[in-house]
Amino acid sequence: MRPTTPLARAALFLLLCGFAVAAPFTLRSEVDAPRIGVEDQVQLTITVEGSGAPDEIALPALTNLEVVSGPFQSTQVSIIGGSMTQSRTWTYVLQPRGAGKAEVGAVSAGGETAPAIAIEVVAGSVRPREPRRAPDPFRDPFATDPFEEFLGRRRGRAPEGKLLIEAAPSRTRLRVGEPLVLTYNLYTQVSVTDLQFVDAPQYPGFWVEDLQRPADSPSGQPATVEGEPYRRLAILQKLLFPTRAGTLTIPAATMKIGIPRLGFFDSGGVVRRSTKPVEVKVEPLPDQPGFSGAVGSYRTSATLDRDAVALGDAATLRFKVEGTGNLKWIDRAPEVAVEGARVYPPQAKSSLEATPGGISGSRTWEFVLVPETAGALAVPPLAFRYFDPTAGRIETAQTAPLTLRVEAGTASAAVPLPPPSGTTARATGILPLRADLDPHRLAVPILGGRVIALAAGLALVLHVGLLAGGRLHGGPWRRGMRTASPRSVRAALRDLGRVGGERMSKEAASALVEKALHEAFGELEEKDETERARAVRTLLEEVRFVRYAPQLGDYSEKIRALAERAAEAVRRWA
Amino acid sequence: MGVSAAASVLVAAAALAASADARFREANDIARAGDYPAAIAAYAEIAASGAETASLYWNWAQAASARGAQGEALWALLRARELDPADRAVVRDVERLRAALNLDPAEITPEPLAAAARLARRFRLDLVAVCLLVLSVLTHAAHRLHPAAHLARLVAWATLALGFLPGALAVAGTLARPTGTVVRRGAPLLDSASPTAEAVGTLREGEVVPILEASGDWVRVEDNAGARGWAHVADVRRLDAPPRAETR
Repeated sequence: MRPTTPLARAALFLLLCGFAVAAPFTLRSEVDAPRIGVEDQVQLTITVEGSGAPDEIALPALTNLEVVSGPFQSTQVSIIGGSMTQSRTWTYVLQPRGAGKAEVGAVSAGGETAPAIAIEVVAGSVRPREPRRAPDPFRDPFATDPFEEFLGRRRGRAPEGKLLIEAAPSRTRLRVGEPLVLTYNLYTQVSVTDLQFVDAPQYPGFWVEDLQRPADSPSGQPATVEGEPYRRLAILQKLLFPTRAGTLTIPAATMKIGIPRLGFFDSGGVVRRSTKPVEVKVEPLPDQPGFSGAVGSYRTSATLDRDAVALGDAATLRFKVEGTGNLKWIDRAPEVAVEGARVYPPQAKSSLEATPGGISGSRTWEFVLVPETAGALAVPPLAFRYFDPTAGRIETAQTAPLTLRVEAGTASAAVPLPPPSGTTARATGILPLRADLDPHRLAVPILGGRVIALAAGLALVLHVGLLAGGRLHGGPWRRGMRTASPRSVRAALRDLGRVGGERMSKEAASALVEKALHEAFGELEEKDETERARAVRTLLEEVRFVRYAPQLGDYSEKIRALAERAAEAVRRWA
Repeated sequence: MGVSAAASVLVAAAALAASADARFREANDIARAGDYPAAIAAYAEIAASGAETASLYWNWAQAASARGAQGEALWALLRARELDPADRAVVRDVERLRAALNLDPAEITPEPLAAAARLARRFRLDLVAVCLLVLSVLTHAAHRLHPAAHLARLVAWATLALGFLPGALAVAGTLARPTGTVVRRGAPLLDSASPTAEAVGTLREGEVVPILEASGDWVRVEDNAGARGWAHVADVRRLDAPPRAETR
């Protein structure tokens, strides 16, 4: 059954759009005919629906087809169940290149894929033809609807029904700080697509909070305006708090409303509608000392995070205000003075939510108390004054008094902690003073920079002197001696270790020992009569004797003994 | 004769210390009674007598803080830190007070070399350096006497190098420019060292500024924004010397 009335079509459109909300988005690729002639054109439509739909879709691969025109993009927005659903369509007009098989490739976007579409192309034309017109190179292929005459539908951009928008305040008389809900309603007799404000709505003299769009049926509620039936949809809600007394005016807001396509080749239209200005009369609040400016219904509580603390430790006092009203406005914490404790400026924490009744939730101020005397500290009742609109007067919510037990003893390191926010908090209890002057006496006074520099210079001079003395004179204590480098000593010891360990002739072994001794001690002076020189000379003589003596027996033991003595001499004197 | 003179000097020193201790306790009692200005005056008197200790300035900071003079309290704590860089309570509370005065860490440490000087004092790097240098010379000499002792040579050069590091740090610390702390809120930065000078800016309470020059009751300073000018010594107290009696 086909819907015949505009209202029924609007309802059907909105209901149909409701089913598209479930998935994040869906992707479709369609052609208007699976079989066409070479002389025909085929329309490719790619549609994405749902939230998170991509803004762009690439043209799929085309086989035996070419693009004649397009892409033509259109967007539809539907309000369903309080949430927006958007669909976008890209349309191409394709022309086959020749008879045979043609294909539109698969379309992919955002993880979704629409399958490829096969098209059969036959010779000639298989589509009903329009009456031929003079070719117009600038003609929009969608400017005319080929089915218009066939369906007998009337062309045009004007909506077939009426459209209205209104800004409806929940009340027009209230006090400063009281909440007011402003609802923007759409009254429609037709389906609509896109809805957007031409300019952001203005609310001079109001504090504005956003509200969740009310849950509504996708097709809206039936309503009658001036005797005519409409569907009413709430499209936006704001929570307003007047900030000053007097007559405040919420200016008119203008919206652009999209009209859906009526035919396949109709690109739809856009109409503008404006709300009427809204006047609100705002009465002032009574002025009383200590009044916080809070308006609404509140209750208060105060707690300490512990019952007892050691002197020097801190406790936290929490003062909580909860209820519904304009609590978000209230920044000023109550005055807290605790005899015998230092109270630091508080930190405020909020857990608030905008509801049609106002801002609901709680605000908590946390004060750090640092006791300065032992004993029971009394935290006095804390008062919170607010205006109760129901009673029409300022009320006072008061907390119960609290007691903090402070135990003397391990006071932590004294805390000259000043207030963190720069305000002055004076100590009223004991000061963490040190009892003794406790002079920090030094056994050795601090050396000045000059003394250290002098010491460093002196050390350098002494080192240089020691080095120079050793080089120039060889040192008075070791005249005539030569100290081998560690590398020479290692080489000599390595050579001496080889003697006896390898099979070698006595001449070769003796030569090796002699070489090692020369490596380690160099040339010995004739006049050198030190123990070292005598020992080395003796060793050299014995080595030479073995080297040049006739081979009358086995000298291996003798050579080994000489090598050991030579190694000992090298270790001792080289 | 010499022994008796030394003994009399020791006795005099002990008497002076006992007197300072007694005066210190009196000042503490005054502070506990809530007369913070009088307590601060007593602490200043003790400091002027030469009995400066970290504890003296700690108590001074408490009294100043209780009086609401946060800049003076920070100065006293910084002076205590100069005298005893190892006093962790002082170091911790300097940091707390700095945060409370909304000062950046750089605003109380304009002279990095001053931090090196504190480090050298805290760990006695001067003595460490001298000891290492002496050890270096001795081991070098030992190596010359016993050439086979190669380890001695290694030790000599290693200790020489190690001795130069703390020595350099200690010497570098002595090159730091003197600094002072702004102890008065809204202290003016003047264009000349005169009571009739024009104010060219305002110093932040608690800010530590390098002292570029001193002339009578005036010091020439540079604030953390780079502005230079003169300030009264009562507004900017030096950290490298005991406080002077206020002259205005």
